[in-house]
Amino acid sequence: MSFEQILFYVFSSFLVLSAGAVVTLRNPVHSALALVLAFFNSAALWMMLEAEFLAITLVLVYVGAVMVLFLFVVMMLDINIARMREGFAQLLPIGIVVAVLMFGVMYQVYNGDRFAPGDMPVPTPHAADYENTRELGLQLYTTYVFPFELAAVVLLLAIVAAIALTLRRREGTKYQAPEKQVVTRREDRVRLVKVPSEARK
Amino acid sequence: MDLTLTSFAPAMPEMFLLGMLSLVLVVDLFLTERTRHITYILSLLSLAGTFWLVLDGYPRLPELAFHGSYINDPMAALLKLFMLLAVMVVLVYSKEYIKQRDMYKGEFYLLVLFATLGMLVLASAHTLLTVYMGLELLSLSMYAMVALRRDNVDASEAAMKYFVLGAMASAMLLYGMSLVYGATGTLDFALMGEAAAKLPTNDVTMLFGIIFMLVGVAFKLGAVPFHMWVPDVYHGAPTAVTLFISSAPKLAAFAMLMRIFVDGLGELHQQWQGILIVMALLSFGLGNLVAIAQTNLKRMLAYSGISHIGFLLLGVLSGTSEGYAASLYYAITYVVMSLGGFGMILLLSRAGFEADKLDDLKGLNDRSPWFALMMMMLMFSMAGVPPFLGFWAKLAVIQAAVGVGLVWLAIAAVVFSVVGAFYYLRIIKLMYFDKPESDAPIESSADLRILLSANSLAVVGLGLFPSSLLAICSASIG
Amino acid sequence: MVALSDYLTVGAILFCISMAGVFINRKNLIILLMCIELMLLAVNINFIAFSHFLGDSAGQVFVFFILTVAAAEAAIGLAILVVLFRNKRSINVDDLDTLKG
Repeated sequence: MSFEQILFYVFSSFLVLSAGAVVTLRNPVHSALALVLAFFNSAALWMMLEAEFLAITLVLVYVGAVMVLFLFVVMMLDINIARMREGFAQLLPIGIVVAVLMFGVMYQVYNGDRFAPGDMPVPTPHAADYENTRELGLQLYTTYVFPFELAAVVLLLAIVAAIALTLRRREGTKYQAPEKQVVTRREDRVRLVKVPSEARK
Repeated sequence: MDLTLTSFAPAMPEMFLLGMLSLVLVVDLFLTERTRHITYILSLLSLAGTFWLVLDGYPRLPELAFHGSYINDPMAALLKLFMLLAVMVVLVYSKEYIKQRDMYKGEFYLLVLFATLGMLVLASAHTLLTVYMGLELLSLSMYAMVALRRDNVDASEAAMKYFVLGAMASAMLLYGMSLVYGATGTLDFALMGEAAAKLPTNDVTMLFGIIFMLVGVAFKLGAVPFHMWVPDVYHGAPTAVTLFISSAPKLAAFAMLMRIFVDGLGELHQQWQGILIVMALLSFGLGNLVAIAQTNLKRMLAYSGISHIGFLLLGVLSGTSEGYAASLYYAITYVVMSLGGFGMILLLSRAGFEADKLDDLKGLNDRSPWFALMMMMLMFSMAGVPPFLGFWAKLAVIQAAVGVGLVWLAIAAVVFSVVGAFYYLRIIKLMYFDKPESDAPIESSADLRILLSANSLAVVGLGLFPSSLLAICSASIG
Repeated sequence: MVALSDYLTVGAILFCISMAGVFINRKNLIILLMCIELMLLAVNINFIAFSHFLGDSAGQVFVFFILTVAAAEAAIGLAILVVLFRNKRSINVDDLDTLKG
């Protein structure tokens, strides 16, 4: 077994195990952390497939932003863990059966005659000075500029929607308003009063 | 990068809409509840401007833009015109309703505009990537719109169900796209067609890709067996949002079906026809049967919508140009009828009262003979009674199915259509032959009444002169 | 050498695990959302594997956009979850019963 194969099996087994953990662990915080582990292992697999930029982006964006958001929400909602586990025991066998059936079918597809090493050879690795980022950038700003702009619109939509759904202004809470703070004038806040001194009685 | 105007001029409507959307976003920040009508007017103007731009750029031959990501052909332009019209009607119908329910915020109009942009992109998509971006733009806005009435429990539940099922369907669609990409080596529909023709017949990877993608598309359309979200979301969402979901996005889902399976995988017609036959049969069968048992008007219209989608699929699965044109015609007529149906519910609703039970239509003739007449025409049209619009649409798709030899399917469609007529006629009976539950007068604004009347009269008018719209549809598929 | 079929198999395993997870955890909305993220991860692995073995960068570009949209989707999904939680004070799916299926 070559070193590459060893790496592949190590990373993919961790990936599969952590994915299983996401689905079966009792505590949602533990599940979220298992998902983070799955993403890290997946990023390693992508590095092996010479998609370096995407691997780093997965870690920075997905783990760094999306999973942190998940953890925030999980910890903010007060979850009754006992009720979460109801029905797990009777649903588990059906879930396993469905998964195994689906996997069996897909295995037939993938290990048929199209994707075996003989039919689709492993491509030669790129030269050492090949920059994945540059290549992606070239494609992104020329061929795929229309979806690129649409991705920006999707992100704007997410901002508008998330704020529209969750922002609440509570009556009576005190908060700072910087836009008002910077336009205050001394004359409005300070008044000098001349108080004549008096002798002590 | 080719920076000449011709490489992106065809996409002017989308660019204009995005610009106006940003303007509405910024202007709305400075408005208060009292001046919110400015947002309303601006949104209507953006849609009208986009409509004009689409009309102005109506192509005779297909034109590509943005390096093949965007296509402007007659079908896209026709679909876009009707999408924009439908959304404008939705905005007019829903104004009073959202005012009464604390939804009269700039975000409502923004989400509608985002969704419209997504629909326009879907109509003009020429790669799998563009399809996905347009689809997500549309879907994400709709999930948020359903939840927009934050204090309403039904709406939040409906939004959550819609989101979970919709995200899963998108993931299935993506998995199918990845398999198709692997099998053909390209995302572009033109190149995909050539590559698909070279594949060995019944290539398993391609077959699986098609199946997974059909799952995603069937969900968006609301076809059985992926229809579970339709009744719950239509029922739980605020009626204004249901009006939106049931109309224009159906045109977008039809566009997605056409782009992926006809533009891209038209060569593989044999592989996807069988699945579509099963979906069509189950949809018009189950939709019509379950609708009979409903007491809630919104749920009834939801199941009736599922059955209409079954009929629409009849045209697509035939695989001929006549079939595609018939489905396009059916989609447009369905949108017109759906706008009228949910518009009636909005007409009868007041602050604190949702007119969504069948019993709320009782005795409508005594309360307002004019609108009872309008509703009667809409119901006759949905049931497929001549000479209303719905009849011609059903006739066209059934003819398309017969034309490719699927006579048994056509007969089943006719049978279920007759079965389905029952629940539409029941509404007419409730309106004309029962006593009203309450004598409250119908309070709604003049623009809703006028537009709703025009909507229902269009159903009659287009029904009396069906050939013009049908001819336009045939010309667009060409 | 690691073949394409190996990478695709890993993707398929992930996809099946997430489908099973949806079945098993129907009651827990947070885990459902995480299963959706797992499904998207499986799709991404497929795309990158195909992109590498076909020598076409379109797959990588697609993954770029899937990452973006998935982030937006997660944000909106969690916002809807928060709205639901504020209304119902529970994220147990059993409590979502006011709409009869």
